Amino acid sequence: MINLQEQIGLFKIIGSQLKNKVECIAIGGSAMMFYGAKNATKDVDMVFSKKEDLEDVKNILYKSGFDERNNIKGIFREDETAGKPTMMDGKDTRFDLFLNEVIGFQIHKDTIERIKEVHDFGNFTVKTASPEDILMMKACTERERDRDDAAELVRKFNIDWNAVINESSKQTKIGIAAFPVLLYDFLTELRENFNVDIPKNITKELLLIAEKRLEELKKQDKLIKVTKYK
Amino acid sequence: MDLYNTAKKLEGLQTVDSIAKNLGIDRRTAINYVWMLRKEGFVETVYGKRRIRMYKISPLKPNKLGYPGLYEYLNQNSKIKIYAPYAERIYGHKPTPEEMVVRAVKTGDLRTILSSLALFNKIKNWRRLSEIARKELVGRKIGALYDTAKIIIRVRRMDKKTRKALLNSRIKNKQIVKYARTKDLQHIQKEWKVYLPFNKADLEAYRE
Repeated sequence: MINLQEQIGLFKIIGSQLKNKVECIAIGGSAMMFYGAKNATKDVDMVFSKKEDLEDVKNILYKSGFDERNNIKGIFREDETAGKPTMMDGKDTRFDLFLNEVIGFQIHKDTIERIKEVHDFGNFTVKTASPEDILMMKACTERERDRDDAAELVRKFNIDWNAVINESSKQTKIGIAAFPVLLYDFLTELRENFNVDIPKNITKELLLIAEKRLEELKKQDKLIKVTKYK
Repeated sequence: MDLYNTAKKLEGLQTVDSIAKNLGIDRRTAINYVWMLRKEGFVETVYGKRRIRMYKISPLKPNKLGYPGLYEYLNQNSKIKIYAPYAERIYGHKPTPEEMVVRAVKTGDLRTILSSLALFNKIKNWRRLSEIARKELVGRKIGALYDTAKIIIRVRRMDKKTRKALLNSRIKNKQIVKYARTKDLQHIQKEWKVYLPFNKADLEAYRE
């Protein structure tokens, strides 16, 4: 586990060793620490838009004593490569480096426009994803602690639910077609098990979006079955 | 009293009157609420026109690690204030006015660049400015903006060596702000071979 101070220390090391300017988006616990919504995190998750940038940071982490983890299992059985990060294991923490997508959730122009904070570490610029995007990315995973984080996000922030609905609709076209279904399950669980205030009309709308998109795909005979690894 | 939930309810820009209306309380109580919220670190005061106080309320206490980014720096040092599209922090070194002028030019945003003109009065190390500007390929743009700033505000004198270095520097494109050109200030544009984005009337904002 690392706290915000230690995370900043690591980012400063990366920034001082980079030769060219590199930008990335911090997501998950790492971003929540910047927002002051979390005190410590187990893994630092970052999304890059360029493969070279990811490689540069990976090399610096390797030189700083982080080792690349091999044999990472994908999220979906049918698509092993989808959203697989480069994992760099350190002594107390782990860096998960993603390229343009996080477990099927695509990063695009709107995600970048919603960014709330920018942190400058010399040649390394870390932008923090919006609470809405962090929440949606957490919906794609099956980890218990992600649910705790998501519940905390909804409690601490005034979530823009319209942005969530619009993004879900977009993700059905550019990312996972069944994304609204995943999000629906996730939010319903949060409401029931964590007693979080999530408007009912939002979950209803998510189902409608999912049904509409799945119907379209069925007509085009593009519907495929995906199974998540347990 | 749950101050956290009050801050969440009032998130955004507020005045005493809007707080009173939102919470259904009178003006005097609203002032007391602001005092309590500020004590907990949920409030930042900003001033509107005619020095009217506005309160930026957020349930999350702002991160005060590192140093202020471009927009906060400009708002602290310039007469022309800007609404920051995002919060920015700089780590590892204290930002200098030389670095901030270049950053402002690189945003390509008219109001940010207009606001950054005030920083020319803070520049002490012209050599550093020249080095950063040439590295970021905005040398001639910085020179032209310096001459523009000279028209409206008091600025420190740029040494001849820096001026010459900036005049001979390479730039990526001639436009300081995309698609923005002016017919005013032709002598500056001709000398530096760039297109200035604002006219004389825009500069009057510094006189108000």
